[in-house]
Parts: sequence; structure tokens; C-alpha cells
Amino acid sequence: MRFGLSRLSLLLLFPLFSLTGCEQPQVNFVFSEKTNELVPEAAKPVKEALVRQFGNPFELTQFEGLPTDFGDVEGSVKTVQSSSGDEKLIRFQVEGLQDAYPKLLGLPLEWTSGKGQGQISRIKEYNYETGTIAVDKTADIEPQPGDTFLVECTRLQFGRDLYNRHCMHCHGMSGEGTGPTSRYLNPPPRDFRQGIYKYTSTKPTAKAQNADLERTVKEGIAGTYMPSFKLLTEDEVSAIVNYVVWLSIRGETEKKIVDELFFDYSKEVVAERTSEDGGESREDVMEELKEYMELDFPDTLEFATSSVAEAWEEANMEDAVVVPETPRVPDTPESRERGRKLYLGDKTKCATCHGLQGRGNGTATQDFWTNPATNEKYPNRGLHDIWGNQLPPRDLHRGIYRGGRRPIDVYRRMYSGIKGTPMPAFGGPLSDEELWDLVNYVMSLPYSSK
Amino acid sequence: MGKGWCLFFLFWPVAAVVSCAMAPMVGWSFPYDNAQAASNLGIRIDGLFYLILLVTAVVFVGTQAVLVYALWRGSNNRDERATYTHGNHKLELIWSIIPGVILLFLALYQMNLWADFRIKKYFPEAAVKAPIAEVTARQFEWRFRYPAIGKKLQPKPQADDLYSVNELHVPFGKPVMIQLRSEDVQHSFFLPALRIKQDALPGLQIPVWFEANKEGVYDLVCAELCGWGHYKMKAHVIVESEADYQNYLKNLTQQQFYDGLGKIAANENDSESEATEK
Repeated sequence: MRFGLSRLSLLLLFPLFSLTGCEQPQVNFVFSEKTNELVPEAAKPVKEALVRQFGNPFELTQFEGLPTDFGDVEGSVKTVQSSSGDEKLIRFQVEGLQDAYPKLLGLPLEWTSGKGQGQISRIKEYNYETGTIAVDKTADIEPQPGDTFLVECTRLQFGRDLYNRHCMHCHGMSGEGTGPTSRYLNPPPRDFRQGIYKYTSTKPTAKAQNADLERTVKEGIAGTYMPSFKLLTEDEVSAIVNYVVWLSIRGETEKKIVDELFFDYSKEVVAERTSEDGGESREDVMEELKEYMELDFPDTLEFATSSVAEAWEEANMEDAVVVPETPRVPDTPESRERGRKLYLGDKTKCATCHGLQGRGNGTATQDFWTNPATNEKYPNRGLHDIWGNQLPPRDLHRGIYRGGRRPIDVYRRMYSGIKGTPMPAFGGPLSDEELWDLVNYVMSLPYSSK
Repeated sequence: MGKGWCLFFLFWPVAAVVSCAMAPMVGWSFPYDNAQAASNLGIRIDGLFYLILLVTAVVFVGTQAVLVYALWRGSNNRDERATYTHGNHKLELIWSIIPGVILLFLALYQMNLWADFRIKKYFPEAAVKAPIAEVTARQFEWRFRYPAIGKKLQPKPQADDLYSVNELHVPFGKPVMIQLRSEDVQHSFFLPALRIKQDALPGLQIPVWFEANKEGVYDLVCAELCGWGHYKMKAHVIVESEADYQNYLKNLTQQQFYDGLGKIAANENDSESEATEK
């Protein structure tokens, strides 16, 4: 059979198909659903503020007061290349960046001396071999040999690159938990933007320590799709966690400022306010919004970021960690029996969720629960976490411990509860001995014959 | 047929021989230490591989040489017409029997090696008696369960078992056996340096033994396309002295039963690997 014209044309089209497949998708931090539910006049400044504060995945931005290691590197201008008048970029050779992270493209460069002192340029080109940097030419910036500068966010960028390689396909570009593979996973990957992590060593109201997140990255989470990344170096793991926390802070900041605006300026509320019953005109509402944006919004933004940053900083303090006052009570049949009684008793009500035998089938799994965020009943029976996923209580016989299988891990799950889930904190109501009895009982269940 | 085809068919055997000869120099050969396997069984497997390579190379080069000769002669002799023959009984016999003999020889020659590698009855007795760990492949990591110090590995998890992930420690200088399992799909336990490869199948527990002849850190990878994260399913097998191994187990025990107090509190959030590093 002859090789027909149609086949030839198909063959010729093949490279075209492959080329289109290689096109880079548009990459950006996404905004939360709630932000998109604001009226456009309110959503726009919120989005602009977030981009100004945090940048986008290609151009990360840093600002004061975050518990983030931005990794600034100092450098100085060695020689400036002469350029013709209509050239848009200005190129210069630098000193001092030899040991820095080699990919500086897109990073902010702050001039610390010379004419442009205090100005920030974006690195538009960077050649690691020759040490040449190109930035946009502006009237304010005129680099001279000897001028010094800081390249910002190198550590953050290192973390971002690792995150995008190892984590992004599940957790998503902005840590929203909806990466390309997330739809195939159950339990779904964590949405970092609430700043809540389940398995921590910290007190009930505290955030996670960096060390907790590093442990999760290295050890993985048994029983879920989160694998272990133990072959990454310590430095890489800490860079990833640094970036993940930064993504959390970005998400939480967004949530805080949107929560502030939502009550008055969501599409629904504005429609209500401007309806016949509401009696306000749209112009009035917009005028009020404009005023708010000019007068109060900067403070709201400042307060949101600083309070979030503070919470993260506090979590990394030594006294945020849950440390038992007494060592583990010896794992004897008596201790287990005391634990069993506690488990079944009214003081803890463990059995309500985990079931009389610890099979994860307590009566609470048959109830319709109320969503604490919306005050509406969930459409299906059983417990839910704050990310909106249905959450069966753990079957304690399986011997799978997501937050770690050391006695201290189980102790901390009971002391602080599991953050973001209905598992409550028993740190106050139960004494240390009682908690250890419970730990002994729970940890014996996978090996009991019942 | 032009002479160009002669060159074309001449090129391939030459290229094959040259690339095989160059392979060890440019790192295309087997991994580790001048392409030498890190286990005695691996060295035997390599020997078998080289034997088969030699046999196939001789056959390949020989047939190509005959082909090139025939083409060359044909292209120089355009007057002679090709003739049809029904075949040559003698020739058919020769090129059936010779490969048959070679295959039979290879089949018999490798039987001992195969038995030592795969048949449990021929495994080193000490290794079979005390499997050192249960290895569970899982999308996309390797999980390990060791028996408590002084105890034997049980098919079902025990309260004092020790656990780790992506880092398997084994003692040096003696054959060790693991029980291989899969939690989800089909994986393959592949130690390239030791030339060990065994599929892990859900629902089965497969014994695998190996003995490293050098201390060191070896890659453990998954050799079965098990899903989108397949390439990330990497772990380390750390071969160390008996004393270091016991020390590792001791550390692991200490960490595993850590109650938040006591002397390992300082690095309680560190992984097992660091605790053993001095």
C-alpha cells in the first residue's frame, strides 16, 4: 500500500502536536473561593495586596516580620556593560554571588548603595558562569562599579524549586491541595492555606513546629499517600518546609483579610444590601467600600500578616512543645485495664467515635454533624474535618499511626487532639498518668485477640 | 544492491563491538566499582551475563560478516542472476542443532546459579532461619519492619517490632534474607549494585536473600512501573558492620519507644538515620 497523502500530513502534524504539548502552562498562585465570592471592587484590592506582598511563583517577594528564612545574599557590581540607548535592560558583572544558589532569575535585587539605594530591581537575566545580571533600565538606577546590593529570597526560591518538583503535583502550586494528581488520592492532600497541620508536637492551640513538618516530609504519613522523602538532604527538607510555611502564611493572610470583608462585601451580601429590602444604593455601598479600602485596609493587612507570623514564631519556641510531666507508665496489664476503663468512660467518651472495640465505628459516625464554619448540617453522616472531608475515626486495631508510632506521638495526639479534626485535646481533663494508661491501652489494641 | 548497503550492515557489528569495549570506560556498564557487583552472587550473575553476551556477539558478528560478504560479492557481480533453491537439508540441520546445543548448554550451566538465587531450599541456612526484616513496597516508598533485638521476625506485626522507612540497614559479611511484600500494586525490589531484583506482589510474601561483599550505601529502587511517582520510589540499603548494625537497632528501639523525656529528647524530631550517624 502506498503511503497516502493523508498519512503524510498526519506525520507532518506530529511535531506540531508534540510542540503544543510542551507549552508551559500559566503558573500562578490561586486565590481562595471566598476571595472570588467578593464583589469585584473588593476582590481586586485584596488580590493586588497579596501579589504585592507575596509575589507570584516566578517572582517571590519578601517583606518584613515573617518567620521565614528568605536567604538574602550580598553582592557588588564589578563592571557595567555599556548599552545602546534603546536597550531595555542594563547588564553588569557581579562579585560575591559565586557561592549563592545558582538560579537567581526573577528574584528581587535591592540596591544598598549608589544612586539607586533603596530601589528594588527584578533580575531579568542571570548567567551563573560569567556572573552577569541584567535588570530593567530605569532612570533611578545607574549601577556603578562598587555599588552593593542584596539579592533577596534565594532560600525561598530554593525551597520553591524543590516544592515544585516534589510536592506541587499533589499539594498544588499555592499549597491549596488541588495539584494535578490530587483527584486520585484519598485522603486528599492537605490544603496548607489554613495553616493547620494535624500531626504536631505542639500544644492544642499552637501551630506546627518546623521540626514537625520536617519529620512529616522525611518519614511520610503511613496510611496515606504522603510518601517519605528521606533521601533528600537535611538542607533540602528544611528549605521545603520553609517554603511550605511561607505558603501557609500567604493563605492564612488571605483568609484573614477576606473574612474581614466578607461580612459586608461578598456578592451575596451586596446584592442583599442593594435589594429593595436592603434599601441601600450600589453607589453608597461602593463609596463605603472605597473609604474602607483607603482608611482601614492597610491596617487590616498589616494586622493579618503580623498576627499570622507571630503564631508561627510562637510555635517554634521551646515552650510550645508538649512534654509529659511524668515518664510513660509501665505498659502492664493493669495500666492497660485502667486505660480501657478510661476509654469506655464518660470522661473521655473515646468509644463514641472509635467504637466500643476501637474499630472506628462508634455511634457518632451515624449522626449528622454540623459544620462549625457554616453552621449547616453536613449532607452525609459521620465526622468531618475542617477541610470539609468526611473523616472516619481511626480503627485502632490496624496498627497504622499517621502521626508517628512512638508512645510520645500517641500521647501528643491525645494531649493536643488532632488539629483540624473532631479529635479533642485531653491535655487538661486527664492527668499525665491517665493519658499514659490510655496510650498503653490504645497501643495494645492491634495485638489483642479481641 | 549497491555497496552502500554493505557499509550499512558492516557498520552495526563494528559499532556494537566498539561500544561494548568502550562501555566500562564511559560508565555505560554495570554500576559500582569498575562494574564489579557488590555481592558474590552478583559476580556470578555478571559472569553468566558476559558469557551470553559473548555467545550472542560471536553469532551477531558472524552472521553480519556473512551478510556483508554476500552483499559485497553480489554487488561486484551484476551479471550472475540469483537462482531459487528449495534449501539445504544439511545447512538447516547445522543451524538448528548448533543454537540448540548452545541454548541447552546455557540452560544447564545457569541452573545452579538460579537455584542458589531463587529456590528457598538452596538459600544459606542461617539467612532463612532469621529473616532480618519485612520489606513492604508501597506507592511510593519502602517500609521496613525489623523484629525486636534478640527476637525472630514474625509474619504478623508484634508489639515490639521496629519500623523505619526508606532506609534498610543490614549487617555486613553474612547472607541476609528479607520478606518482601507489597501493600498496593506490583513493585520490584531492585538492588542494582548487588544484581538483585525481585517483584513484590500484593498478597504474597516473597523471601529474597543477598550478601553484600563490601560495606556501603546502596540504592534500592523500584523496577516495576508502579504509578506516576515510580521514579521517586528510592531508598538506601546501608551495609555496615555487625556492631554498627546492632547499634542502629538499639537506637531505633530507643527512638521507637521514646516517651518524650530522657536523653534523646534533643534530637527527638530527627530521623533514625541521624541518630546513628556519629
